[in-house]
Amino acid sequence: MRRILLLVAFVLLLASMWMALTLGRIDGPAANPDSPVRNILYAHVPSSICALLCFVVLVIASVGFLCANKPTWDLVAAASAEVGAVFATILNATGMIFSRAEWNIWWTPSPRLITSAILWFLYIVYLILRANLPGSQQRRARICAVFGIIAFLDVPMVFISARFLPDIHRPSFSFDSSWQTMALIISMAATLLLAAVLIWLKTDVLKSKARLEKESLN
Amino acid sequence: MSERKQKHCTANTVINISSVSKAFATRLILDNIDLDVARTQSVCICGVNGVGKSTLLRIIAGLLEPDRGSVMLCGYNLRKHPEKAKPQLGVVSHKSMVYPNLTVLENLSFFATLYGIRDSTSRVEELVEDVGLFSYRYDKAGILSRGLLQRLAIARALVHRPVVLLAYEPFTGLDVEACEHLINVLANFTNNGGTIVMTIHDIKTGIRCCDRVVVLDKTQLIFDAMFSDIDTTSFAQDYLSYARSKN
Amino acid sequence: MKYFWLSFKAIFVKDIVTELRAKQVLPTMIVLGMLIVWILRIASETASISTAVMGPTALWIALLFSGLLAQERSFATEQQQDCIYGLLLAPVDAETIYLSKLFVNVVMLCIFEIIIVPVVFLCFRLSVQNRWLALIGVLMLGNLGISSVGTLFSAVVQLTRTRGSLLSIVVLVVLMPMMIPATFALLILFGDVPDELVGSGAIIFVGSFETAVGYMIAFDAIFVVACWLLFGLAIKE
Repeated sequence: MRRILLLVAFVLLLASMWMALTLGRIDGPAANPDSPVRNILYAHVPSSICALLCFVVLVIASVGFLCANKPTWDLVAAASAEVGAVFATILNATGMIFSRAEWNIWWTPSPRLITSAILWFLYIVYLILRANLPGSQQRRARICAVFGIIAFLDVPMVFISARFLPDIHRPSFSFDSSWQTMALIISMAATLLLAAVLIWLKTDVLKSKARLEKESLN
Repeated sequence: MSERKQKHCTANTVINISSVSKAFATRLILDNIDLDVARTQSVCICGVNGVGKSTLLRIIAGLLEPDRGSVMLCGYNLRKHPEKAKPQLGVVSHKSMVYPNLTVLENLSFFATLYGIRDSTSRVEELVEDVGLFSYRYDKAGILSRGLLQRLAIARALVHRPVVLLAYEPFTGLDVEACEHLINVLANFTNNGGTIVMTIHDIKTGIRCCDRVVVLDKTQLIFDAMFSDIDTTSFAQDYLSYARSKN
Repeated sequence: MKYFWLSFKAIFVKDIVTELRAKQVLPTMIVLGMLIVWILRIASETASISTAVMGPTALWIALLFSGLLAQERSFATEQQQDCIYGLLLAPVDAETIYLSKLFVNVVMLCIFEIIIVPVVFLCFRLSVQNRWLALIGVLMLGNLGISSVGTLFSAVVQLTRTRGSLLSIVVLVVLMPMMIPATFALLILFGDVPDELVGSGAIIFVGSFETAVGYMIAFDAIFVVACWLLFGLAIKE
């Protein structure tokens, strides 16, 4: 089932990439309207949605673990943190490439960029905390769940607080045709599917690892 | 300051451990442990290092939650009714659990306040006399010797007049005089109606202090007897041989 | 409720007395704070940055990093001789322990601010005219925000015997959003908001001191409650 879903995700990704590269240009305020870098939006926008959704999965799994005390919830949280970190990295990297191509700067403290940077930091700190907490697995899971909830409360605070700063660059874009909208939707669907499958895969890997450790100790 | 309304324990079975199991990560430490301790009994839990003695004691103290099973203290579940169960319990360990920068009196007053003791000043002074720390009462805990620190730890554990005393390796690091003093304190505690559960390494001290022994091995309680019912000399020899074979 | 206040007061007084006798953390906090302020003053001079802009920044950075020292201490004392178990064995809620430790950290930061704020004013030649109460309010809100998150994670780091550096990264990443309106509020108080920040933010009412303070109040309310509720779970073994 997972292989089928992965295949579907990759096919959709390839389809959206093909459509992105062959279907007209993306208009928007900038110096270089014909820049092919604009097509990075087809990766950037889905990555941002995935990064946020992975955080939602993380906090749901964290709350689930604290309520039910079942290790599976903790493993789902760990998996979604790793996958979310990857998408947050893609989000920031593609954002920086786009920013450099469009406005000739790699980064600026505008609200969206601050929000995505802090999102990335929250994921990384979660993973570092997870890797470095000593003690029993249960205790580590509980502490990571607590941090996951605190970090999730932080995300809307970041979103609002960043609005105190001027949004010097207000990226807006328009498509030439509805096919480009379709390309974006396909890319979004592919990325979401990919994220879901990766979380599923990673959770299974972590479960197998825990089972192997138990067997080797017993 | 009014005292918390502490219901004094009248039950005959003071500690009831029922089907307690605990695993850490992938290692099972305790498996379906059942243990009842009657009032005024003093129980010594023996076993080699790493067998789960401190885990069991921490579960009884409510510091660790078992994966399965329950612990009742004077009829109260420690997890569900901590406000009723905790005042019944005093704990002594090889670490004193007192603050080095506070004096003896300040440490005891602090814990008396936490337990809601009404006559805390007179109670603290009485305790300081009982444990032989009167001349050190204004000294900071940080400068006390190991033996005196252990007396302070006992005073801290007894400040709220608990019914049960849990002692984890209480004789660790004590000299002969300090050991004798501790043995006397424990004997007085049981003579006054208290119940003791302790873990110790030295089986001979255990035989002196306690009237019942349980041995923990491979997640189970493998031996449980009153010292009055067994030949303590041969038990001590057998236990030492068993402990050596495990090492 | 009576027992809550008795326990709260007992833990609070115990911590304050312990710190005043040990005299370990406060002097270190003050020296670190002053060093940060001096370094940033020199940097602002070298880079020709307006002192009215750099001053609030220096103050918050000093508060953040010195605050981390205070928070590390708050549970380090409980690690000695396993004192935390003495607290957990007593019939005291974990939430009461959190609130009293939070209050201790707030007081420590207040003592630190009493010393560092005049230093910042002197170094950066600042004045708030007659808005002293507003300044105190903003600093107190900052204290509360820093202490609420720091107290929770200090307990986690100390009681699990994790590396202290983890506390810094955990606390700083969570506190980042509060620093923007906090700095903004002080910029307004010191009367030097950079032109590009006035009226041009994504929120139409930006540039208002009340908005910045309102955000800080919301941040503090959310995180004090969340950390208070989660504290018992975080310190459980």
